[in-house]
Amino acid sequence: MKKNIATISPGFEDIMPEEYQDLVNDGPYGRGLGIKNLGTFKELIEEHPLCAGCGLALAIRLTAASLPAPEDTIIVGTTGCNSILMPQLAIHNIHSLFGNQSSLAAGLKRALKLRYPDKNKDVVVMAGDGGIADIGLSPTLHTWLRRENLTTIMLDNESYSNTGGQESGMSCEGAVLNMAPTGKKFPKIPMPEIAKDSGCAYVATVSVANARRLGRMVKRAILVAREIGPTYLQIFVPCPTNYKFSTSETLKRAKEREKIMEYISSEAEKLIKEANI
Amino acid sequence: MMERKVVDPEYMFKRAPREKKFLIGNEAVAEAVKRANVDIAIAYPITPQSEATHIVGDIYAEGYIKDYYRGEDEFNVMSAIAGARMGGARTFTATSGPGTLRAFEMFPLWAGARLPVVCAFMCRGVNSPLTIQPDNIEIGWLMDTGMLIFHAENPQEFFDMTLQAYIVAEQPDVHIPIGVCVDGFFVTHTREIVEVTPEDEMLPPYDPSTSPVPIMDMEVPPIRQMRDPFVMKSNYISYNTHASWQQEVRAAGERAKKHIARYVGKFIEVTNPDAEILLIASGTAAAQARVAMEQAREKGMDVGLAKIRVIRPFPEDEVRELAENPRIIIVPEHNIVGWLAREIKSRIDNSGKVRGHPRVFGGMTMPPEFIMEEIVNGRAR
Amino acid sequence: MKSSIRMSGLGGQGMVTAANLLGTAAVKDGKYSIVIPFFGAEKRLAPTESYLRISDEEVYEKGEAVYPNIIMVFHKDVIDKGKCYTMPFYEGLQSEGLLIINSANKVLIPEYDISKLRELKINIIYVSASKIAMEVAGTELATNMVMLGALIGVTEIVTLESMEKAITERFSGKTKFIASGTTAALDDVLKKKYTKAAQLIEKNMEAIRVAYTSTKNA
Repeated sequence: MKKNIATISPGFEDIMPEEYQDLVNDGPYGRGLGIKNLGTFKELIEEHPLCAGCGLALAIRLTAASLPAPEDTIIVGTTGCNSILMPQLAIHNIHSLFGNQSSLAAGLKRALKLRYPDKNKDVVVMAGDGGIADIGLSPTLHTWLRRENLTTIMLDNESYSNTGGQESGMSCEGAVLNMAPTGKKFPKIPMPEIAKDSGCAYVATVSVANARRLGRMVKRAILVAREIGPTYLQIFVPCPTNYKFSTSETLKRAKEREKIMEYISSEAEKLIKEANI
Repeated sequence: MMERKVVDPEYMFKRAPREKKFLIGNEAVAEAVKRANVDIAIAYPITPQSEATHIVGDIYAEGYIKDYYRGEDEFNVMSAIAGARMGGARTFTATSGPGTLRAFEMFPLWAGARLPVVCAFMCRGVNSPLTIQPDNIEIGWLMDTGMLIFHAENPQEFFDMTLQAYIVAEQPDVHIPIGVCVDGFFVTHTREIVEVTPEDEMLPPYDPSTSPVPIMDMEVPPIRQMRDPFVMKSNYISYNTHASWQQEVRAAGERAKKHIARYVGKFIEVTNPDAEILLIASGTAAAQARVAMEQAREKGMDVGLAKIRVIRPFPEDEVRELAENPRIIIVPEHNIVGWLAREIKSRIDNSGKVRGHPRVFGGMTMPPEFIMEEIVNGRAR
Repeated sequence: MKSSIRMSGLGGQGMVTAANLLGTAAVKDGKYSIVIPFFGAEKRLAPTESYLRISDEEVYEKGEAVYPNIIMVFHKDVIDKGKCYTMPFYEGLQSEGLLIINSANKVLIPEYDISKLRELKINIIYVSASKIAMEVAGTELATNMVMLGALIGVTEIVTLESMEKAITERFSGKTKFIASGTTAALDDVLKKKYTKAAQLIEKNMEAIRVAYTSTKNA
């Protein structure tokens, strides 16, 4: 996006909403900001309609603040809690349907490559665990196997939170949730391992409690996807509503169960070193 | 790849010189794609569509299309097509019967997202039992998705309508998807004379700036366009927006009528409109009905034919007018549900005169003699 | 003149190719033609038919030739094993029609059916197409060519010149021919058999001429 496209035409300053003026005057477009700058600029998200203490909402906020080029990033989401929040990001984003976010993103990315051969347009898939690992597993895998230049970010709250807390493939074995009344019968789907085996050049896991590391991983994942091939980032985002804990405990829980892992292919390693991120 | 020039669509459709070829329907549609200045083609193999997208692949390999791949299944193919359209590219895809059903959730999305997708439907029976043979029941389901529907009778119309569909679908006041439907095998695998336009002439490219909804490329400010959205909110404005949005999609279909008249031509082709018995049919059934009409007229019976080429937007006024005179209307169809008869009955005043027979389905041919039998029975009544 | 032809045989015998060649030749003669193959999801040796309509006027009718005036049987299984889409195999054949059968054995058709065919005044021609194909072209894959030659010999439905043009176009490798994936695979078998496309075309034409001459003179 050319920065001047977002500027306000003379004479319209008074009638444009305040947050638009903030975004134009103090937004993150084209400034290369990150987590460490939070509090000093107008963020892409101002408010959200999700539950108090929502780990997923915080993860989207942190991800949005870490995008290496928010002015040229398009986010593709899917049905779930994320789809209620995502349309309120000041960035082009698409609610696909349920489970087809990766295939839609692949078509979008290819179209943008054709239309902007000399410009980076980062297409980021950001969806829940059910959307990616259950209903959307096939297109997720196939975009990886086809080596599409996409970043896939899973917001893993280990359940279908929007539909009322049902067990998902990413829930832990034994978890008692709706539709798993006697406890989940099989272990958490090993998505990071699958991502690695399916051709992702960069795979990482982190929790929402680890803001700086999360921010760095977002930047790495998007940069590698832009230049090399598919990347996968799995963020653990506890859900107080469906796992029935106090809204003040989200970060504590995230920290307790956080697993940090980073797989970087040798090609990606070189790129990350050169970019110094 | 040969040097090619962009030509005016109306010139291409109406005045361009034509070369006679002897082609099957699947070759004819690929010839159209070659001239349609397509950016991206994506598909998943299914009989009887497959040969069409094989040839489209060859066209890609020659450089006439910029990107092409085999998707993972029809739902995800249609999703990728949506993504490519949202990114401002012109696309082509095709599917058949079971593939249509697998992809179905995407069709109302295409319409609702105002994506001018052109998709070829090579209609085929659906399971169960398993069949690969011709049967166009899927058109009956597609009719209420918000898509526009053309029904081509033969490879020639398949060629022409596919090209015309791009120009109609991409009008800023239309900008909704068009399904170009044919009956599988009876068109896809049937070899006939097809007159094609010069190979070195192609349609003008799609201009994303004419889209009535923003292209998702971050080249226009996202602020306020996507914020405070009506998506998934629980309030009056949200419900009302969803309701009026659906009406707007249908209105776009109505607005397409003038463009269809200009680029595609007649919605209905009528022979002997004042006949006592009128056959109304679309697709292959119209071809069979034409033969039956000729046989009947040779025997001195007063029979006419109305071939409906455009199913959505439905030519209601024309059908109402046509339905006034005949004593009996016979609607032969290649499906078990009789979607065309149902449609006609619901639009005219005296629906009792409509006979929704013969219906042939499951892969069999409809001999003109079957229609003849209905004509004879109709006259006896 | 209006002809409606049904070719019945087993997948791989070349009914689809034969119908396409005949249709192409008819169009080259300035006539109208519609060619329709009919096959299931099965591969080789499954019942396969193709339907061909040739006329001086525009042809509209599609689908199976339910009431043909010419039937060509490529394999005996069509007659005695029910390997076709109609039963009996001559169902719908119009009176005074033509029936060409690939067989040296004239007692193939049951007595009952023979009397039916006699009632209909059907002209029955037997051709040892597979045998002639082996002798002339060195491959049974040329059976369809012999059958075409026989048909043209009896009916002159197309000219040999146009047929030669159609065959040259089909096998020269310059244009890609699409009928089905299996047809493409069989094309490759044929191409491997002959070192040059010209040789393949010539052998096919020779097979046609042999059958043409023998039926024309019969």
